[in-house]
Amino acid sequence: MYRIGVDVGGTFTDFTLLEQESGDIHFFKTPSTPHDPSEAIENGLRAMLGELAFDAKNVVYLGHGTTVATNIVIERRGARTGLVTTKGFRDVLELGRQARPSIYDYRVEKPPVLIPRDRRVEVAERVGPDGEILHTLEEESLRAAVERLARTGVESIAVCFLHSYRRPEHEQRAKAVIAELLPDAYVTLSSEILPEFREFERMSTVAVNAFVGPKMGHYLRRFRNRVADVGVPVEPYTIHSNGGLMSIDTVYANPVRTCVSGPAAGVVGAAEIGRTAGLPNLITFDVGGTSTDVSLIHDATPLFTSARLVAGYPVKTPMLDIHVIGAGGGSIAAIDDAGSMKVGPRSAGAAPGPVAYGRGGTEPTITDANLCLGRLDANTLLGGRMQIDLDAARRVITDTIAGPLGISMEEAAHGIIQIANANMSRAIRSVSVEKGYDMNEFALCAFGGAGPLHAAEVAVECGLPRILLPREPGTLCARGMLLTDLSSDYVRSYFADCTLDNWAQVRALFEAMERDGQDWLDKEGVPHERRRFKRILDARYRGQNFEVKVDCDGIGADELDTLEERFHAAHVKEYGYDIRHRAIQFVSARLQAIGEVPKAPQARVDGGVSLDAAQTGSRPVYMDKAHGWVDTPIYWRSRLPNETAFSGPAIINEMSATTLILPGQNFHLDAWGNLIVRTAA
Amino acid sequence: MSTDRIADPIQMEVFSNRLLAIAEDMGSILIRSSFSSNIKERRDCSTALFDARGRLITQADHIPIHLGAMIGAVEAMLARYRLEDMAPGDAFIANDPYLAGGSHLPDISIITPVHQDGKVRFFAGNIAHHADVGGKTPGSTSGTSRSIFEEGIRLPIIRIARAGAIDEDLLELIAHNTRDPEERLLDLRTQVGTNVRGGAMLVQLIERMGWPTVEQAIEDILTYTRRRLRNRVSALPDGVYRFERAMDDDGFPGDPVPIVCTATISGEDIAFDFAGSGPQARGAINLPDSALKASIYYCVKAVLDPGLMPNQGIIDPIKITAPAGTIVNPNAPAAVAGRAVTSNRLCGAVFGALYQALPAERVMASCNDSTSAVSVSGWHAGRQATYVYPESMGGGAGAFADRDGMDAVHVHTVNSTNLPAEALELEYPLLLDEYCLVPDSGGAGMRRGGMGMARQIRIREDNTTFSARSDAHVIPALGVFGGKSSSVTKIMRNPGTTEEEALHSKASGLTLMAGEVIRVETLGGGGYGEPAKRPLAAIAADLREEKITRAAAERDYGSDRVEAALALG
Repeated sequence: MYRIGVDVGGTFTDFTLLEQESGDIHFFKTPSTPHDPSEAIENGLRAMLGELAFDAKNVVYLGHGTTVATNIVIERRGARTGLVTTKGFRDVLELGRQARPSIYDYRVEKPPVLIPRDRRVEVAERVGPDGEILHTLEEESLRAAVERLARTGVESIAVCFLHSYRRPEHEQRAKAVIAELLPDAYVTLSSEILPEFREFERMSTVAVNAFVGPKMGHYLRRFRNRVADVGVPVEPYTIHSNGGLMSIDTVYANPVRTCVSGPAAGVVGAAEIGRTAGLPNLITFDVGGTSTDVSLIHDATPLFTSARLVAGYPVKTPMLDIHVIGAGGGSIAAIDDAGSMKVGPRSAGAAPGPVAYGRGGTEPTITDANLCLGRLDANTLLGGRMQIDLDAARRVITDTIAGPLGISMEEAAHGIIQIANANMSRAIRSVSVEKGYDMNEFALCAFGGAGPLHAAEVAVECGLPRILLPREPGTLCARGMLLTDLSSDYVRSYFADCTLDNWAQVRALFEAMERDGQDWLDKEGVPHERRRFKRILDARYRGQNFEVKVDCDGIGADELDTLEERFHAAHVKEYGYDIRHRAIQFVSARLQAIGEVPKAPQARVDGGVSLDAAQTGSRPVYMDKAHGWVDTPIYWRSRLPNETAFSGPAIINEMSATTLILPGQNFHLDAWGNLIVRTAA
Repeated sequence: MSTDRIADPIQMEVFSNRLLAIAEDMGSILIRSSFSSNIKERRDCSTALFDARGRLITQADHIPIHLGAMIGAVEAMLARYRLEDMAPGDAFIANDPYLAGGSHLPDISIITPVHQDGKVRFFAGNIAHHADVGGKTPGSTSGTSRSIFEEGIRLPIIRIARAGAIDEDLLELIAHNTRDPEERLLDLRTQVGTNVRGGAMLVQLIERMGWPTVEQAIEDILTYTRRRLRNRVSALPDGVYRFERAMDDDGFPGDPVPIVCTATISGEDIAFDFAGSGPQARGAINLPDSALKASIYYCVKAVLDPGLMPNQGIIDPIKITAPAGTIVNPNAPAAVAGRAVTSNRLCGAVFGALYQALPAERVMASCNDSTSAVSVSGWHAGRQATYVYPESMGGGAGAFADRDGMDAVHVHTVNSTNLPAEALELEYPLLLDEYCLVPDSGGAGMRRGGMGMARQIRIREDNTTFSARSDAHVIPALGVFGGKSSSVTKIMRNPGTTEEEALHSKASGLTLMAGEVIRVETLGGGGYGEPAKRPLAAIAADLREEKITRAAAERDYGSDRVEAALALG
């Protein structure tokens, strides 16, 4: 029986296959097909199964991470969409929160609104803050509004009325009228997708969902058909932004929930690998070609957030708190007119790419610097398939950086790396300091193509004492798909003081959401013994405008004291203090429904016999100004012996990544094949 | 080109990241540990690092106007205290514009000397906008105060902590001169604690790099920034450039008060003079010295190079003069609480002057250069408590040669967020009838100015009090190169009824009954280029999206062109 994880990236589609019985893992990579990402999935599945001589009918699980929804938003090629909203509020989508995107630079504009003003229509209706009807929905006004949208040729409609999170009837009536007048339209109701107060963020989320819905539907159909064509007998899953899995039908109705699908899988994978490896506190460091993703995992649990910007548009769904830094292998180094060297934010990306790739790049990138310093091997990049022009990289760094600064080529190349590392380290520090964590208790979990190359220096810069490098770090996102469960999130806003009566109301909301969750798990076919529900309450001290999350599992109807204690404790954890005599207010009740997926435990790996046997050669590598060029042994990772301590310097190769270990740093492979580096004694 | 030399550009860049990381970490700590919404949610606070000579080295999380107040506090501190009299663990507090370089009283600075190897090496600083510091009006930002004594507690630069211990007596005194002492106590302690954490990080950094390397890197950072700004300035044609904007009045009904900026560019030097500006205001809209400077640093960065790092290097090449006793350099004890509007109008004047030295494709027409703050307060029957609801509204931004102006944004030194309608209605006995863009508010032109916004609030309880601190009810945003001016701001009571009444921009203390309505419509931005050059497709889109009315389109673009635009479909 086989379990397969697939991660569709911009350049490559990665696969991880787990043999359930033996625990053996196989990794595979194939070029992505951006015109139809499901094509690469089909190609890769066929090629991998063929190469391994495995029968597709023995695949019992297939999970995939996808950037289709995100790309539709970034490229703004979604459906022709309309908005139906409360009279007086059609411009909320455009007004936003009225802050401008850049304080100093007026050339930076707000992203163009996804639904232009002539496709935003108003309906005479009004619900008040307590769910009371202030103005009964006028049927004629509703029909006229929908007819007006119909004349503009919309394929998809977002419906968002004020306070509908409290009373959804008017939105439901709108849905019925749309179904009658525009039966083919894709319809998204705000009360279904995000029943939570603050109208701009809700309306924006609904607009994004409506915008991507129809095209996402086309993609999902192709994906499902292709997987079936290969002969896989099970329904494939998709990982969504909170790191859990969803069926194709659920994703079809909620595509906005997949906005950080791919990166989420990497974080979930890192958390599970860290838990097993005894390193439950991690900072993930996923370095790609144009950007770097950073997130924090505490006690084997990734941090969550409830909102982020997707291509400039607010999206509010529960999701892993992943920070994106605009620096990656393709970031360009240049000297400005006042004599300072900057690395990024401009990037050569995949095209034209680094100078050394010889595809038209003319400015030095971080990858060029790594090649010039001997840290990346010009011959083994992408398994030798890539033709590398090392001389061109050296020339461009000499001409554009070293010459003007009057330093050597090595110093210039190392300067590029140092500046890039300092940039990335600043972002890493802010992620942890913002949440009040101490770096000393964390390890850097590096993955992505270039993470392991920078990890040694970045960990030192940040003061992180350890580094965890999972096997095949270049494909960790695909592996993460094998390490997670089904999940779906529910929310209901309920604004009230913390009293016994109101707590009863909150409990009723939890129970209603749990019924929704049970229905969903029924549809997903999850047996009862594999179901779990997590209850969380957003609450705050009176007078605050921000909420903390309180874990409400197991708090009974008459246990208000327990609830209050947990709130104070959560406030201390989040902000470092509590104010015990202040009144507490409820804001929103949240429920997560979880359907556990059987997962094979991570298997122990038999290491190689000796360090000598693992060594494939050596080459000079430039470490820093003090060490200069150091003759550095090169090892093939899977041949390193287990549980044996070694000292750097070292270069460690595997199919998907190269790891650099600095002189004096100690490293070993643990029992599960993870590479652990100690940066501090 | 300037010839200052940077000793080690790579170390400088790495060090600059490390320093900024410390300033940003201080900002995170301050926001995370503070209590009031103003600091925590609206992030109305900034952090900065200074060297022992008081030179600004870096600023993070910047609210542009905060820069000036922290610089002012450090200057005042060094004028009053000797370095050798500062002990590790001391901290200083200040807010007063006339005594300690502040910008208005709610912005309280804490400055902390950072010792290493027995010497003061740095100062860690932070500033936060406190929701109330006393004075005659809740929120301490009345538009109608006539002297600073009406605006809250005045703090010269004084020690708030000695050798690691906060002066509890002083803290109590300060807190109990405000309307929410508990909030003040929590937030001021947090401000002091933030600098202690920042100081510890700085000491670690010095010990890791060694003081000589740090000292060199500081010089390099300042040299670099100075050189970068001088390069921008020397690329501009030498000359004297003058631009005038005006306040509607001086805070009470009367004549417009001009703000005149004369920018002189000579080689790599740039000077701003404000001779010709109107006398200091009777109302609270005077712009004190540090707010004037901060506004100008903001403008230089925004117009010439948004990537400039905020440090002493951008301060040195800029010369600023303003005659005493004017609205941009008031004498004590003139009131300053409402200086935000004046700062924005001043920025409009500085932008206008600098743009004359720039090529047309980099010029933006005037923005709304204003902000309309309103405050609604009353009795919340459900909670049995009084409430105060503050809101500030932006308007349109100016058009560029290649694009229409941004709609409905705050401009210049203001960039706060609105309160969502649903949050507003949940929190207060008020309803929002409408929140929308205002058609015909942007100035016509080849490119149209951005649109202003309307917010219509319905009162649900009797005896509700309404006050405004607004402006630009008379003076619009100006167009450029033939572009038209924008609309002006209006505040109306009970619009569309027989009792409709236009209110003064500083209307204060109006009593409203249940069912009454207040509508604020803010101005748009100025247009760019002749309206006759506006592409027909853009006119058609504006009409289709109801961003302009047919009547206004015919007036600004001509009936023939409107017909032709509509024919496009």
